[in-house]
Amino acid sequence: MAATSRTRLVNPRLGTFFGIFSAAFAALVLMTLILEQLGASDLAIRFLMFAGPIALYGAIGLLSPARDTNDFFACGRRVPAFFNGLVLAVSALGGAGFLALTGAFFAVGFDALCLSLGICAGLVFMGVLLAPFLRKFGAYTIPSYLGRRFESQTLRIVAAAVLAVPLLLLLAAEARFAAYASAWLTGQSEHLMAVVMVVCVTLTVLGGGMRSHTWSGSAKAIAALVALAVPATIVAIMMSTLPLPQVTHGNTLRVLMRVESARGLPVLAAPLLAFDFPGEGLEPLAKRFIQAFGSVGSLAFPLMALIAAAGIASSPSLLARPGSTPGVHESRKSFGWAVLTAGIVLLTLPAVAVFLRVMLLDQVIGQPVDRLPAWFASLQKAGIARVDATTPTVSFVNVSFDRDAVLFALSFAAGFPQTLVYLALAGALAAALAALAAALVGGAALLSEDIVHGLQAEGAPDSSRVGAARAAILGVAFVTAWLAVAAPADPLKLFLWSLTFSASAAFPVLLLSVWWKRINSWGAMVGMLTGLSVAALAILLAEMGAWAMPSVLSGAIGLPAGLAATVVASVLTPLPSSNVVNILQEIRVPGGETLYDRELRLQRLKARSPA
Amino acid sequence: MIEWSERKAYWRHTKVQMLTSLLPFLLALVVLPFYAEVLNDVRVLGIPLGYFLACHGLLVIAFVTMAVFVNRQDAIDHWHGAHEDI
Repeated sequence: MAATSRTRLVNPRLGTFFGIFSAAFAALVLMTLILEQLGASDLAIRFLMFAGPIALYGAIGLLSPARDTNDFFACGRRVPAFFNGLVLAVSALGGAGFLALTGAFFAVGFDALCLSLGICAGLVFMGVLLAPFLRKFGAYTIPSYLGRRFESQTLRIVAAAVLAVPLLLLLAAEARFAAYASAWLTGQSEHLMAVVMVVCVTLTVLGGGMRSHTWSGSAKAIAALVALAVPATIVAIMMSTLPLPQVTHGNTLRVLMRVESARGLPVLAAPLLAFDFPGEGLEPLAKRFIQAFGSVGSLAFPLMALIAAAGIASSPSLLARPGSTPGVHESRKSFGWAVLTAGIVLLTLPAVAVFLRVMLLDQVIGQPVDRLPAWFASLQKAGIARVDATTPTVSFVNVSFDRDAVLFALSFAAGFPQTLVYLALAGALAAALAALAAALVGGAALLSEDIVHGLQAEGAPDSSRVGAARAAILGVAFVTAWLAVAAPADPLKLFLWSLTFSASAAFPVLLLSVWWKRINSWGAMVGMLTGLSVAALAILLAEMGAWAMPSVLSGAIGLPAGLAATVVASVLTPLPSSNVVNILQEIRVPGGETLYDRELRLQRLKARSPA
Repeated sequence: MIEWSERKAYWRHTKVQMLTSLLPFLLALVVLPFYAEVLNDVRVLGIPLGYFLACHGLLVIAFVTMAVFVNRQDAIDHWHGAHEDI
């Protein structure tokens, strides 16, 4: 079977299924709105908006179980480009993109673009440089790809150990974001919700691994997009006339600029390498919105964008995604959809920030402390905003705002019903859960395929591989829950560190493994280890205050070091064998059978034929 | 299936396509924000141009880059017979 017809593989009813999901989600929101107007208790509304969507995602996950490895690790290679792109974009953004990035736009304005552009560019890099070739190879995990590509079992184990670092950081970050959103949604403590969310995601993906994650992830992506669009669109209509926040926030920006200069917001100049993103918790407004390089230095800005791009492009939790498309062309197309989806989200987030900033500057700052609007008082009571009242009138220096709360505070400030506040929270939670599930499935595949089965002789039966992966999901989930409760660092920082590690350790080797013929297994191994250790050292030094470079920019040293080490070690060691070069020549051409599937097929044939 | 003699030409074509897709985008990504401050003095419909280009412009460029890449690379695959036979 050289290739399989696309129409036979792709489920033709997918559109219907997700139409039903979207209708059910919309019905849930509308029903909650009606119940709220009828006087239902706050507790009931919270419960509906929290448990309703999660039950839907869980049901989709449980209804798509998988028994063979192809289904469990690659969703049967039958995910059409659109759905693949949707899941890809939302799990690339995750809770960090939805919650923290909106807060960053709110606090530092223009400078937050370095991260949003980096994430979008990362999807472009992945789609052009890596994804089509990894799809042609078809391995389920990155270490398995590297191990087969260079025919080195040692490299496979080393790669698995190295890639576990960014994966664990990502898991901790996304679990924290999920816990944050669900804690606001339910009113429970964050530690409890971290455990509850990890358990929910584990149950969702345990039955079908990648298959469950893909289809529940598509549902989460749709929910996240709807939940982001609805409040922003209503505010856009209120503030201008067009229901397109992505476009009309430019007009609101004019108002904002006028108010900002009237209220005396400063124009700052940051040192070249400064990276002053808002931290976790309550943060003041730093500078005027459109001013460039006030909080992030003019050198730190492009560095951060490039590190984030390289980090997203080689993120081990996202690189399994292209493998689930029906073909190489389809995997390229899915990146078009992913860039489009991510672009729309990344244009909506600054709009949310601009709207809330105008409201804050217009209605709160400059007002007497005892005569603040009702919405601000309720934000204060909830602990989302704080005014340190030392002066009779509020000025921008003594107002601080919870970074991660900006996304749903907009619905508060616009005076929407509580349901829409909870809808915004449910959307952010959906994005965080999608990213958490992606990292969980990726981490479990790494543990079971590369560590457990990587040490054994090849050719384990499907049932034992899937069973090991299920056990690995449980193990990784346990570690994630523990990390989310124990890791005290700012989740955005954890996310950025994860990008730094994947940019330093994985990106150079993956890039060269496709685009440079001379690279051999020594180069790959040395490059990964060098990238990882240099980045770790730079982060450690920066966190101890030993040098001026912020720790999140450590990839700027780690990536070149990893690249140089790969090249030098490859050149100093013998040429790659002709077999290795043949593999490379095969993955460079889209046509023909997927390499990994062919290997499995031949193994099965061998097992069946009498010896 | 691609002929052996075509492989070299196919890969050269692919490399050129990769560079023509990524280099302009990379250049815009790195260089444009530096000029944002200067461009902000220019207002288009009252919107500061620097912010508008860095925020909306680059995301549009990213999408166009990706869309053009997908189409061009598919054409290259077919030209050299390297496409998947579906």
